[in-house]
Amino acid sequence: MLERFSVPAEDQVLVDHEALRRTIAALFVACGVGEDEARAGADVLVTADLRGVETHGCSNMLRQYIGWFRDGVRNPQPNWTILHETRGTATIDGDRGLGILQGGPAMQLAIDKARDVGVGIVTMRNSGHLGPIGHFTYQAAEQDMLGMCMTASSLLIVPTFGALPRYGTNPIAFSAPARSHPFVLFDAAMSSVASNKIGLARRVGANMEPGWIAEPDGTPIMDERPAPSGEFNLLPLGSTREQGSHKGYGLGLLVEVMTTLLAGAVPRMVERDTKPRHCFIAYNIEAFTDLDEFKDTMDRTLQTLMDTPPAPGHERVLYPGLPEHETEQHRRANGIPLHREVIDWFSAITAELSVAPLETM
Amino acid sequence: MLERFHVPKEQEVRVSDAALRTTITDLFVACGVPEDDAATGADVLTMTDLRGVETHGVSNMLRAYVDWFRDGRLNPRPNWTVVRETPGTATIDGDRGLGVIQGTAAMQIAIDKAREVGVGIVTMRNSGHLGAVGHFAMQAAKQDMVGICLTAMSTLVLPTFGAVPRLGTNPISIAAPAKSEPYLLYDAATSTIAGNKIMLARRVGANMEPGWIADPDGTPIMEEQPVPEGIMYGLGAYNLLPLGGTREQGSHKGYGLGLMVEVLSTLLSGAIPNMVEDKAPIASHHFAAYNIAAFDDLDHFKDTMDRTLQTLTETPPAPGHERVIYPGLPEAESEAERRANGIPLHREVIDWFNRTCDELGVARMETM
Repeated sequence: MLERFSVPAEDQVLVDHEALRRTIAALFVACGVGEDEARAGADVLVTADLRGVETHGCSNMLRQYIGWFRDGVRNPQPNWTILHETRGTATIDGDRGLGILQGGPAMQLAIDKARDVGVGIVTMRNSGHLGPIGHFTYQAAEQDMLGMCMTASSLLIVPTFGALPRYGTNPIAFSAPARSHPFVLFDAAMSSVASNKIGLARRVGANMEPGWIAEPDGTPIMDERPAPSGEFNLLPLGSTREQGSHKGYGLGLLVEVMTTLLAGAVPRMVERDTKPRHCFIAYNIEAFTDLDEFKDTMDRTLQTLMDTPPAPGHERVLYPGLPEHETEQHRRANGIPLHREVIDWFSAITAELSVAPLETM
Repeated sequence: MLERFHVPKEQEVRVSDAALRTTITDLFVACGVPEDDAATGADVLTMTDLRGVETHGVSNMLRAYVDWFRDGRLNPRPNWTVVRETPGTATIDGDRGLGVIQGTAAMQIAIDKAREVGVGIVTMRNSGHLGAVGHFAMQAAKQDMVGICLTAMSTLVLPTFGAVPRLGTNPISIAAPAKSEPYLLYDAATSTIAGNKIMLARRVGANMEPGWIADPDGTPIMEEQPVPEGIMYGLGAYNLLPLGGTREQGSHKGYGLGLMVEVLSTLLSGAIPNMVEDKAPIASHHFAAYNIAAFDDLDHFKDTMDRTLQTLTETPPAPGHERVIYPGLPEAESEAERRANGIPLHREVIDWFNRTCDELGVARMETM
């Protein structure tokens, strides 16, 4: 994450991850979610905060999840249905559940299928926000598989040359295990920036970079300026056609096909009330090659990347998953920095739902 | 493709797709490739030129393929072997064959597996350049599947913040069928620009945009300029930047996607990435087929594709643009036009064909 998005030191309150876990689980339970699901959901959000993925931890989205449960948009006790199934695939109707609570079991189904036939893919429609989707790919990597996850929900991105948003940030996540190095964990929106980053930039008062959003008429904004207060549309990864926005656009459509279309649903650009759709893929490494050899090669590859001489002005070359791993070590020991405003929200909501207040450090 | 990459009118010679197919087949055969394989490879390259993907048709790569066959780096008569197999997967050793020729059979195995268990994944190591990978994704789409194809070769692209190239252009492609609209067909490098586009820019004298390549010390070049004279690719040379260009504009995403392709192609086929052991022009590939009927009603899927693609093309354009397109639409339009009027090749490419045909004792290509 760019430095500008970090919570400024003077606004930070540190919270222990165990305390955060307890409070989030208690809040979910207060919304009618079962104990086990509540704990699993808390783990998804706390892991994101531990790994420094502030945009998808408890700060931005938890208040919405609770709002959705309370006003009935999300079903806290869903009964999902398998609509189609083969040895390697399943299509699931999520019964309006919340994605972060449903992602774990969905990926596990893909993993079980991959143990049987080498690869497993599960699509899910009529579900809710999936949160930090990399979490579910890591679940596969921990079981000696490659994990891939994608999700599609709102309308936020203008296609290349377009003036109206046609699809969401449609992230792609991917994880692969190594032997002694931190696992690869890539998780990124197919817009040039995640929409939560614009919310975060507003909260911490950071500027937007050129190429992040479009003017209301669709023209890419190519100068640095503060985040707008009103509505905005994001640009595909690449920003302008000349710099490759057609690639971000195409990858966004790839995600739309793999999630929405393969789940038997209709994209939001076609029918406004479409609920979020997801895709979970597990590749059983052992089915393709020797697992030990694979992990050794991963280590050599990641070492080569870290040993790459940096360009002027940069300290080192990273790989996706490395800085997140380092942040996790630090935050497990020293606590998770939350913004005062988030702490205030926790105080208000725990009081309202008669849940014990969040302990700070 | 950006307008600047097109062959300038005054340099253009048109050839029919049939004539191009015949000549490519003859050239492959002259290199020792069996007749059927030669025809398969010629189809891949000709379809690529018909779709307007000049970078990956005959103009840039065919001369390299011919060279690699002639100097023995690629094997014209490979005996590939399936080294591991499950109901949904297969890992293949390509025996140093040319990917362009081997890709069709590999994707067909993935498709056959997907008919059985809903999804099929085939990885292939020890194979040569795969050409325009979208061709193989399209092969699956034509059989009512979603097709995905990836490939990893050479080291041309810098990791974000790095000064030495570590990844190939590692393209991602997907194709999905529709009912009445041209199929979705996306195929793009995970670098800002395909390596072949830089060669094409040199040939047609076009400028590069900011964020396409880096100075030899790894600093992204952020102003528009002609392709520099110096050496491209490698230590101390000009190298490509990941999609996004700079970290602030998202190059870590292009880098991450490139690494994902490396894992799904190279590592999942049991091979070693080129950044660890340089084996170019040997590559690794990944072919995936998802049987639509396993997930949803096929008719419903195709109807929804039509509605989606129509919504995209009906999107009001931003100022200065005529229309919104989707990946696969301009390619379908180009194919229709070129089937009727021929494929425009650069004079320089025609000269190469003439020289090579003479050298290999093959009949010269007919032009229109």
